[in-house]
This record gives sequence, structure tokens and C-alpha cells, in this order.
Amino acid sequence: MDAYAGPIRRLCGAYAGSTADREDLFQDIFLAVWRALPAFRGDSSARTWLYRIAHNVALTWQTRDRRRRTRETAMNDGIDPSGCTDLRRLALNQAVAAMNPADRTLTLLWLEGLSAAEIEDVTGVKAATIAVRLSRIRKQLSPVEVTT
Amino acid sequence: MNDDALRAAWIGAQPTNKEALMTAMNAVLDEYHSARAKDRWVHLSAVIAVALLCPALLWCAAYGKTPLVREGYALMAVGTAVMLFGEWMHRSWSRQALPGAADARSHLQKTGFLLARQAALFRTAPLWCAPVFIGGVLIAMWLYRERSHTGGFLLGVSIATGWLMTAVVGASKGKQLDTLRSRMEHLLNDLS
Repeated sequence: MDAYAGPIRRLCGAYAGSTADREDLFQDIFLAVWRALPAFRGDSSARTWLYRIAHNVALTWQTRDRRRRTRETAMNDGIDPSGCTDLRRLALNQAVAAMNPADRTLTLLWLEGLSAAEIEDVTGVKAATIAVRLSRIRKQLSPVEVTT
Repeated sequence: MNDDALRAAWIGAQPTNKEALMTAMNAVLDEYHSARAKDRWVHLSAVIAVALLCPALLWCAAYGKTPLVREGYALMAVGTAVMLFGEWMHRSWSRQALPGAADARSHLQKTGFLLARQAALFRTAPLWCAPVFIGGVLIAMWLYRERSHTGGFLLGVSIATGWLMTAVVGASKGKQLDTLRSRMEHLLNDLS
């Protein structure tokens, strides 16, 4: 968990608007991993296993807390949810946060450096579909460079 | 910006304070364990209460003063058993819906399916709780005829109110779960 704290914190930043929500989500993910740990048989890599749990928790969390999330995101407009000061990262963070949840899931996994096959393993979406959607998302993200 | 630059910008340099992380995780685990211990106590208390209630209802069903009272208690005993079974199913589906290590699509499909079942369970609550309420009404009828008009009437009104509340709360909870399920399905469609 220690090694993956960074990626999971970034995932929480992309899904949750406020600091309290990010902490709640991080704790929910940690507990889900803790509960699932005895069933981990090593069939898949620890990384994809952990990302599967983290994204499942985040998607469920978002579905359940949509109203609160929407309100708090609006309140936090312009504030970088991860607390970083890098403008380029801030713009990227805002672009990711504005995506629909499905695109956001694929984007987050891609930004963390997972291959299409690994993203397929995490999301259950076919690798060919992922490639097409990521190509569209990359075009969507290209203005991030222009604006920074 | 090329892919590597985007990834580098995304990942950035975020030093992780290991000590703070371990402290936070230990605090979360402590909280989780105490919540589970509390949950176990509540569950145990409920089991003990039911273990005492069911034999009492069955005894009343066997040795009640009149056939009407015996039927009333028998129906209440059956209704209590049905309600317990419903509660057990609800808890079991809630446990199964917890996010695990399945892929996102499977998780969303399974959760949507379980939410639909839970919504149906809540909406039909007035039906499967009916034996308890009908049993209560039979006892209220006996009370009205044999003991006190006012007492029987008040008991009947309370039971009817309870039944109505069960229907209203069940329908409202079912609607909430349906909304959640439709969001899950929407998400699943987006992902596919």
C-alpha cells in the first residue's frame, strides 16, 4: 500500500472535490484493499489488482455521493484538488476532473502508465476500444499544453 | 504535449510521508475494527431478542385464550421469521455489493443487479411484513370484542399506521436504490 499511496492519492484528487472527501475516499479504498487482501492469490499483478479495487471504490463512491460531490466541486472551482502548485498539473487535473467518470477512469490509468492490456484487466473494457477512446482523450487533453 | 510529458506532469514529485501514512492507516484500521465489534454486538443482541421473541410468540400461538388470539400470534411468529429472512438477504446482498477486486464492468453489473434486488425487497416490504400486521390486527379484534373497545381500536389504528409507514418507507427506499442503480447502469454504458 505504501508504494501505491501516491497513485491512490492522485486518483482521490481526481474523483473528490474537497480535502475531507479525498480523505474519506482514500480511507474507503484502503479498507477495501484490507478486506480483499486475504483473497489475493497473485493471479494478476499487485498493481492491477490494487487499481481494480481503487477504481471500483471510487466509481461506487461517486455514484453514491454525486450530489455532495457536485456541490463541493463547484465550491472548489479553480482550486487544485491535489494541492500542487504546478500550473500544468493544475490544468491537467481540472481537465481530468471535468471528464465523465468512464473517460476519467481510462485517463487516470493511462496517466499512471498502465498499458492497454493492463487497463483492460482493470476496467473490463476491450483493449481495442481503450485505444480508440484514449486517442480521443489525448486530443481532448492537448489544449492543456497550449493554456500553460 | 506528448504522452510522456503528460504523464510526468500528472505524476509530478509528491513525496510521501511514510510515518504519517502508517499512522493514518492504523487509525483507519482501529476505527474499522471498533465499528465491526460494535456491529457484532448489535447483531448478537438482535439474535438474542429474536431467540426470546420467537418462542414466546409460538407459546402464545399454542396456548392463547381463543382461536383468534392463537391465529394472531401464529401469524406474528411466521411474519417475524420472514422479516428476519428478509433482513438476512438484505445484509448478504449489501456485503456482496462491496467493491472488490473484480474488473470495473463486472463490479458495476453486479452492483446494479444487487441494487435491483434490494429495491424490489424494499418495495414489497408491506407484503412480506403482512403476517406480522395481520396477526396484530387479529389480536386487536379480540381485544375490541372481549376486553376494551378503545384499547382494541387504538391497537388496530397503531398497526394500520405501522403498515402504512412500512409501505411508504419501503417505496421511498426502493426509489432511492433505483436511482442509484440507474446511475450505475449509466456509468456502465459509458464505460462499454
